Amino acid sequence: MSKVLENLFYTESDEWIKVEGEIGIVGITDYAQDKLGDIVFLEEATIGKKVKKGESVISIESVKAAADIHSPLSGEIVEVNKEAVQNPQIINEDPYGKGWLFKIKIENLDELKDLMDAKKYSEYRKE
Amino acid sequence: MKKIPLHFFHEILGAKFIEFHDFIMPLYYTSIKDEHLSVRERVGVFDVSHMGEIKIKGKDAKKFADFILTNDILNTSYGDVKYTVMLNEDGGIVDDLFSYTISDDEILLVVNASNILKDYNHIKKYLWKGLDLINESDEIVEFAVQGPFSQELLQKFTSYDLEKIKYFKFDIIEIFNERVLISRTGYTGEDGFEIYMSKDKGEKVLKEILEKGKDYGIRICGLGARDTLRFEVSYWLYGNDIDETINPIESGQKFLVNLNKDSFVGKDALIKIINEGVKRKFVGIEVEGGIARHSNKIFDKEGNEIGFITSGNYSFVLNKSLALGYVNLPHGEIGEEIKITQDRRVLNGKIIKKPFIKPRVKKEG
Repeated sequence: MSKVLENLFYTESDEWIKVEGEIGIVGITDYAQDKLGDIVFLEEATIGKKVKKGESVISIESVKAAADIHSPLSGEIVEVNKEAVQNPQIINEDPYGKGWLFKIKIENLDELKDLMDAKKYSEYRKE
Repeated sequence: MKKIPLHFFHEILGAKFIEFHDFIMPLYYTSIKDEHLSVRERVGVFDVSHMGEIKIKGKDAKKFADFILTNDILNTSYGDVKYTVMLNEDGGIVDDLFSYTISDDEILLVVNASNILKDYNHIKKYLWKGLDLINESDEIVEFAVQGPFSQELLQKFTSYDLEKIKYFKFDIIEIFNERVLISRTGYTGEDGFEIYMSKDKGEKVLKEILEKGKDYGIRICGLGARDTLRFEVSYWLYGNDIDETINPIESGQKFLVNLNKDSFVGKDALIKIINEGVKRKFVGIEVEGGIARHSNKIFDKEGNEIGFITSGNYSFVLNKSLALGYVNLPHGEIGEEIKITQDRRVLNGKIIKKPFIKPRVKKEG
């Protein structure tokens, strides 16, 4: 059973976002990292880029597959996890912690209502 | 989908499965990377029972094998294994395979899972009168024990001195209290053995290997690590790097072809190809900014399409994204910069030497 954290919001494409004031920290879920397997490449997001909710921001690649990472909310990219770009394996090891991907300045918190909470996401990804 | 004999045992071991041609096969158990490194550093065991075993039996079986295969089979005797290709009349590669010489009248061919029926029918077409062609694939399990500690581990199961089996040799020996065929061969670039036995013995033997292997930090490995391991040492994968549209000259497998033989299937076409000169070359590529994958296109710096990727992966030993592919000559010089179009982005690449890492097999003097 993959891990789901309480205080995060989730997308159907298996990203999570943690809201801290107007900043959102984005990553992929434990389920997603497990499905991908050994992650070997993370594209570096462009700081300053404006993204729409659901828009593909960067790609991530494992030995087995490549996938797009979508922004859970609209906003502007304000920070990138360089450590994860340098050493993508940390996304497998700690998808909710050290393996975060990028931060956005959230444009509209109302969009949160379209995301799932931990309980809903757990249901959604129940095997 | 066909299940290999030990399918449920692998399920118990926690395998994640993948469809591979007609088979459902373990892809990995813990992580491809862990399994990969266990083979490079210690020892790993693979259940490769999807591989096909086809026997040619009867008078002059060896002579016949020499005719359908490109390598020199005629001058082999009991205990010899040859890596070879088998060609069609146009010089295209029908399969790459191992040929085990059991006697002048018995040859065992170990073929790719994807090609078992195709190979069988191809060989049948040429089969000499008096010879039998037997597809034993469903009756046999094959384990590959690979890695620097593979001999030390397997030695614990037999009084036979495994040191006697040199690289690309085999013997039929008493091991695991059974009589089995074992060869010092593999598909990982490490020292190791491949073991063939009837399927009823498989589970017992695999359990014993895993149990004793604990002392060596053994991992059970899936097709994922098998692919990343063979890729690092640039061994060809049939269906990816070679197929019937590719001849062994352009694939860099001329060393498997003995042109001094009087005749073999595909020889005339191959001589014509050699005389006319090949048009493309199989190369190694270092890739930046992502993973190149099978059938991605290769362009030169001016934007002309010059080739295609056949295998691409991440090297866990070199920590780099690498690829194999064909480029049209005269492209393909070491150091040449190229572009690769992937699904998502354009990647930069550079032609580099292959194999990416040198096999550490025990080469014969």
